[in-house]
Amino acid sequence: MAKRKSLIKIKPKSFTDGEVVKVSFMVMHPMETGMRKDKKTKELIPAEYITKVVFEYNGKVITTMKVWESLSVNPVFTTYMKIDGAGVLKVIFTDSKGEVQETIEKIKPKG
Amino acid sequence: MQRRDFLKNLGVGAAGAVILPSVSFAADAPKPKGSNALPYKDALNAVTGGKTPEVSDKVSLKVPEIAENGAVVPVTVEVESPMTDSDYVKAIHVFAAKNANSRCIDVYLSPANGKAMLATRIKLGETQEVVAVAELSNGKFLMASQSVKVTIGGCG
Repeated sequence: MAKRKSLIKIKPKSFTDGEVVKVSFMVMHPMETGMRKDKKTKELIPAEYITKVVFEYNGKVITTMKVWESLSVNPVFTTYMKIDGAGVLKVIFTDSKGEVQETIEKIKPKG
Repeated sequence: MQRRDFLKNLGVGAAGAVILPSVSFAADAPKPKGSNALPYKDALNAVTGGKTPEVSDKVSLKVPEIAENGAVVPVTVEVESPMTDSDYVKAIHVFAAKNANSRCIDVYLSPANGKAMLATRIKLGETQEVVAVAELSNGKFLMASQSVKVTIGGCG
């Protein structure tokens, strides 16, 4: 399946080592509950939603999110994170159809 | 002539008004329940293991009081905690009390987060209460809740 558009945003944009920053992960995903009917065919639209989101910083799991279908379309997940040296932040999501995708953001603290 | 035009327009307008309400609404069929359907009480018990969470000021839940669109309701949960190795927030759970599957999201945090906060957007099917439960590292459960009025449901 085509790669879904995703994005990691860190606020503030420039940060120092040891600072606590806001991390947002956004992904374009339909988040279909499986309870909605197609208006034309009157058939149920099969469920398709994100089940798990994992935030990994330099190979260490920081946050794990178990997600259910009642999250909005194109969900946003925001938490905080303590900067601990330069490295990579990886966000991996799994959806109910078994699709797994990871998004990578480089972390470069100043000074 | 002007008067005539005015009357004509009035007639067209009235005809339109008669037609509009006749758009029929389909009868409400019983809503299908998803395979994950779980009422709020059971979901809460599954998380806390039967314990009753304490209502606390330490948990701040930010949800709009009136949500115009139930499909996108921003939710922010912040828990006051030092987030050290010995004292941190283990998990934050968000429930929508009247959704078929009342569980929305379970977030498992670690001291590396630095601050216990979660922000996301949820779907609400009808006017209901949104509940946030925080699980602390010492085994305590704290909670906060707020009712949200939904004008247009977000499910189905």
